[in-house]
Amino acid sequence: MSDSSIDSLREQFGRELASAASEADLRAIRDRYLSRKGGLLSALLKALGTAAASERPRLGQLANTLKKEIEQQLDERIAAAASTRAPRGAVDITLPGRRPAVGHSHPLSILRERIESIFTRMGFLVIEGPELEDDYHNFEALNMPPEHPARDMQDTLYLSSPMRSSAGSPATLLRTHTSGMQIRYMETHEPPVRLIAPGRVYRRDNLDLTHTPMFTQVEGLVVGEHVALSDLKGTLDVFVRELFGQERKVRFRPSFFPYTEPSAEVDISCAACGGNGCGMCKRTGWIEILGSGMVHPAVFESVGYDPEKYTGFAFGMGIERIALLKWGVEDIRLFYENDLRFLEQFPQ
Amino acid sequence: MRIVHEWLAELVDVPADVEVIAHEISLRGFELAAVEHGVIDFEITANRPDCLSHLGIAREASVIWGGALKPRPSGRVESDSVIPVRIEAPDLCPRYSAQLFDVTVGPSPSWLVRRLEAVGVRPINNIVDVTNYVMLEIGQPMHAFDLDKLQGAELVIRRARAGETLRTLDGVDRALDPEMLVIADAQRPVAIGGVMGGANSEISESTRRMVLESAYFHPPSVRRTSKRLALKTEASTRFERGADIEAPLEGLARAAALLEKIGAATAHATRDVYPSPRRPLEVSLRGSRIARVLGTVVPEDDVPRILSRLGFLVTGQDASWQVTVPSYRVDVTREIDLIEEVGRHHGFDRIPVTFPPLDVPQAVPDPRIERDGKIRRAMTAAGFSESMTFAFVERAAALPFCRPGVEPAAIENPLSEKFAVLRPSLLPGLLDSCSHNRRRGRKDVRLFESGSRFGPSGERRAVAFAWAGERTPGHWSTQPAPVDFFDVKGTAELLADVLGAGPLDFSTSAAPFLVRGRSADVGTRGYPVGSVGLLDPAIATARGFPASEEIYVGEIDLDALASVVDAAELRTHALPKFPAIVRDVSILVAQALPAAAVRGTIRSAAPALLESLVEFDRYQGKGVPEGRMSLSLRLTFRSSERTLTDDEVEAAMSTIVEALKGAHGAERR
Repeated sequence: MSDSSIDSLREQFGRELASAASEADLRAIRDRYLSRKGGLLSALLKALGTAAASERPRLGQLANTLKKEIEQQLDERIAAAASTRAPRGAVDITLPGRRPAVGHSHPLSILRERIESIFTRMGFLVIEGPELEDDYHNFEALNMPPEHPARDMQDTLYLSSPMRSSAGSPATLLRTHTSGMQIRYMETHEPPVRLIAPGRVYRRDNLDLTHTPMFTQVEGLVVGEHVALSDLKGTLDVFVRELFGQERKVRFRPSFFPYTEPSAEVDISCAACGGNGCGMCKRTGWIEILGSGMVHPAVFESVGYDPEKYTGFAFGMGIERIALLKWGVEDIRLFYENDLRFLEQFPQ
Repeated sequence: MRIVHEWLAELVDVPADVEVIAHEISLRGFELAAVEHGVIDFEITANRPDCLSHLGIAREASVIWGGALKPRPSGRVESDSVIPVRIEAPDLCPRYSAQLFDVTVGPSPSWLVRRLEAVGVRPINNIVDVTNYVMLEIGQPMHAFDLDKLQGAELVIRRARAGETLRTLDGVDRALDPEMLVIADAQRPVAIGGVMGGANSEISESTRRMVLESAYFHPPSVRRTSKRLALKTEASTRFERGADIEAPLEGLARAAALLEKIGAATAHATRDVYPSPRRPLEVSLRGSRIARVLGTVVPEDDVPRILSRLGFLVTGQDASWQVTVPSYRVDVTREIDLIEEVGRHHGFDRIPVTFPPLDVPQAVPDPRIERDGKIRRAMTAAGFSESMTFAFVERAAALPFCRPGVEPAAIENPLSEKFAVLRPSLLPGLLDSCSHNRRRGRKDVRLFESGSRFGPSGERRAVAFAWAGERTPGHWSTQPAPVDFFDVKGTAELLADVLGAGPLDFSTSAAPFLVRGRSADVGTRGYPVGSVGLLDPAIATARGFPASEEIYVGEIDLDALASVVDAAELRTHALPKFPAIVRDVSILVAQALPAAAVRGTIRSAAPALLESLVEFDRYQGKGVPEGRMSLSLRLTFRSSERTLTDDEVEAAMSTIVEALKGAHGAERR
C-alpha cells in the first residue's frame, strides 16, 4: 500500500465513471468499488496493514477520503440517472394522439356567416326566402316586364309545372337572384328597411371554371326617408374592407341593372398587384365584386311604397366569386364537389 | 362595341391619349373590355342602345372634354316617291323609310374596309359596307334590296302568313309565323323586319338598282322573332333594345353621301312612312331630388351643362328644370333617369361616404338561420363535414327517393340530363359527393347537407347525412369498427336534441332506398320526420361506390321537425338530495324480442322510484340457448324524499323480474 496505489485507483475510477453509459453501469461500478466483500476499496483498506506503522494513519486518511469521493460521485450520477428513468406506467408521448372526429364547415357557409355577421353588426336583419319563385316576384316587380331585354342577363330555369314554394306561393321558376325576398318583405313591412337576404340562386349557366348553374347570393336592401347613394358608398366601403382587409381600396363605377338607378358596380383594388395591374385584374388594378344601386322608383311603386317619400339602396354579390378571390380557389366547381381534401383546408 | 379612335375623333374633339379616353369613358358606365391598336372595346349595357354607335360614345366624350359634336356630310333627301311602301302592321313597324339608288356594286375603298375590320365587321361589297358603316357610326341599322329582284315593285310591311318561309342571307331556310314581321314584295317575304334580309333580294355584283331600307321596328317584336329564330344580328340587337325613331332619314342621308363619295351609287327619290310621329317627352328635374338621391349637391350650372351635351334640351332656373328627352335616349322616361345621367357624369368618386341613419331596433332574424347554424355546429362536432350539392339531379338518381308512383319535379329547360329534375331528397347529391371521395381513396367519409328539397308538398328544408367507413378515426391503439345502424340512429337523436324536438320514435321502415331490417322511420310525437338506415346496395353500386360497401344514411325533414318543437321556456329541476341505488339484471329472452318491449314491461311494473333504465349488454353465443339472447339492464332507483333501503329496491326488483317472466318468459341469469 502506497500513495501511488491510492492515486491509480482514483484514476481508474475516474475513467470507469466517465465511460458509464447507464444506471446499470453505475450500479456495477458501485458494486466493484464499494461492496463490503471484495470491493476494490475494501481491498485497499485491508492492504493498509502492509504499510509502515508510521505511515498508516496518513494513508488510512487518504484511502477514506477516496472512498467518500467515490461514494459521493456515484450517488450524484445514480440520482441523476434515476431522475431520467421513465416512471411506472409511462407512455410514449410521441405516438399519435386520439383525436375526436370533427367535421369541417363548408367554405361557403363560413363566408356566408362572416358576411352576415358584418352586416348584422351594422344593424341589418337577415331574412330567408323560397328558392322557387313566380315571374312577378323574380322579374316583374323588379322593373323587368315580359320581353324586357335585361331578362337576357339572367338565363332562367323554369319548372315543367307549377309547384308550391316554401313561402306557400305557386312557383314557376327557380329564382335567379334573392331579390324576390326583398319584394316579399316590402309587400308586408313598412319602411324603414335594412336587411340582407342570403340564399341559393339558379341560372342556366354551364359548369366551367367560373360558372355553376347554382350559386349563393347575398343581397342587401336599405329603405328610408333619407337614404342616399352616399350611404350606399359608406356601407359597402365598410363591408368590403372588413371582409378583404383595411388596406384595400374601393371604387364605384356606373352600371346598369333594371331594378336600381343609378346603378353602380363595386371594384376592389387587386391584392395580387396592389392596384398596379396584373393578369388577375386584367391589367386594370381593380376587381369587380358586387353590383349595387339606388332602388328604382318602379320597384317601390310595385310594392306600394311612395317613391317620393322613400329612397333606398340595394346591392348583391355572388359569394362563390368572393370566395375564389379571398382564398385563391382556382375552380369554382370545387365548392360543389365536396372533396374532403378541399373541405378540410378550411377551419373546423 | 368597338370604337375606333380616329373615327370618334371625326365626330368630336377628344384631346387625350386613347388609353385616357378609354379610362374616362369607362368610369361613366361603359365597362372596358380591351384597348388595342387605337380601338377601344366597351361593354354597352342593355339600356343604352344609343351607344352601340360611335355617335353615342361621342356624346359621352363631349360631356367629358367639352367639345361640340362636329357636323357630318349628308346627302339629299327628296320625298316625292315612286316606290309604293305600305305598312300593314304599324304596331310592329311605326316608321319605314326607303330610298332608291342606281348602283355600281364593287369592293369598298381601303379606308372603309379598314374601319369595318377594326370594328370586327366583315367587308362584303361597297353597298352593304356603307349600310354597316352608317349603323356603326350613328346606330341606325339599314338593309339594301335589289330592286330588280322584287316581284312587283312595292314593299309591304306586314305579319308573316302561316306557312311562309324565307331563306335568309346566311343561307338558312326560316319558317315564319304570324307573330313575325316581314318586309314583302307583291308576292313573298324578302326580309325579316329588323332581323335579317332574304337571299331572294340580296345585293349582288349584277345589281343595278337598289332600295335602301331605314326603318324603326317595335323592340319586343324584334326580340321575340330573334329569340324564336335563334338569330341574333347587329340589327336585331339594336332594334330590340330600342333604335332612334327619328334617325331613319338621317341614316339615308348619311348613306347617300357616303355612297356618292365612294362612287357606288346615285341617290334618287325617298319615301318616308311615319303615320304617328313621336311626341317629344318632357321630364321635370329638381335639384333637391338630385341631392336627396345622390347624397351630395351637384353645382347648379353642371346639371344643364351635362344634360345638354348629351343632347337633352334643358330650360328652367333655380335648380328646377324642364328637360326634353332626345329620341335616341329610350332609357330616359322619368326624373330618376336624369339623376342617373347627372350622377354618372358628376362622378361617383366625388360622392361623399356616409352611413345610413339607424333609427329603429332591428326585428328578430329568420329562425331558420339560427337553426342551420346549430345543425352545422352539432354535425361538424359529430364528425360530419358539410357538403353543398346542386338542387337538380338526374331523374334516375332521384327516382328511388320518390314515393312509389310519384314523379320528381322536372325542369322545363334543363342544362342537361344530369340536371333534369329537382331533388326530392338531399341524399342523391350527398351520395355522389360521398362516392367522389371514396373513389379518390378516402376510406372514411362522413358528410351532411342541409337545404331545400322538392316533393309533392312543395319546397321543404331538410338535413341529410351519409356515413361510409369506420365509426371512429383510425388509431394505432384501436381495432377498426365499421359504422352501423346505431351510429345513424344516434345521429338522428342528436339532431332532435339540438333542435329541441326529442325524443324520437323509431319504427320499421319500408323506404325503398333503405335495406329492410336495418333501417327505421323516424317520428316524433306521432309525426313522421324522416328515416335512417343502411342504403340499398343497388343504389350504392349505381352511384359508383366500391362493391359490397355499406353506406348508412339518414334524412330529417326540418320543417316537419320545427312544427313539433316545444317552444315553452326552459324550466330547470332541482338536483337530487338523496343517493340512488343501482341494480343490474341480466335476462334470457327470445332473440327477436325488441328491447323496447322489455323496457315497456319494466316501466309499467316498476314503482315510481325507478329513475332510469338502460341496456348495457346484449349477448348471443356460448352459454345462451339457440334462439334466445341475454339482455343486461341497469336500473337506477331513487326517491326525492328519503334514502331508499335495500329491501325496498329488492322488492321492486322482484316485481320487475316476475313481470318480465310473465310477459316474455324471461329467465334471470
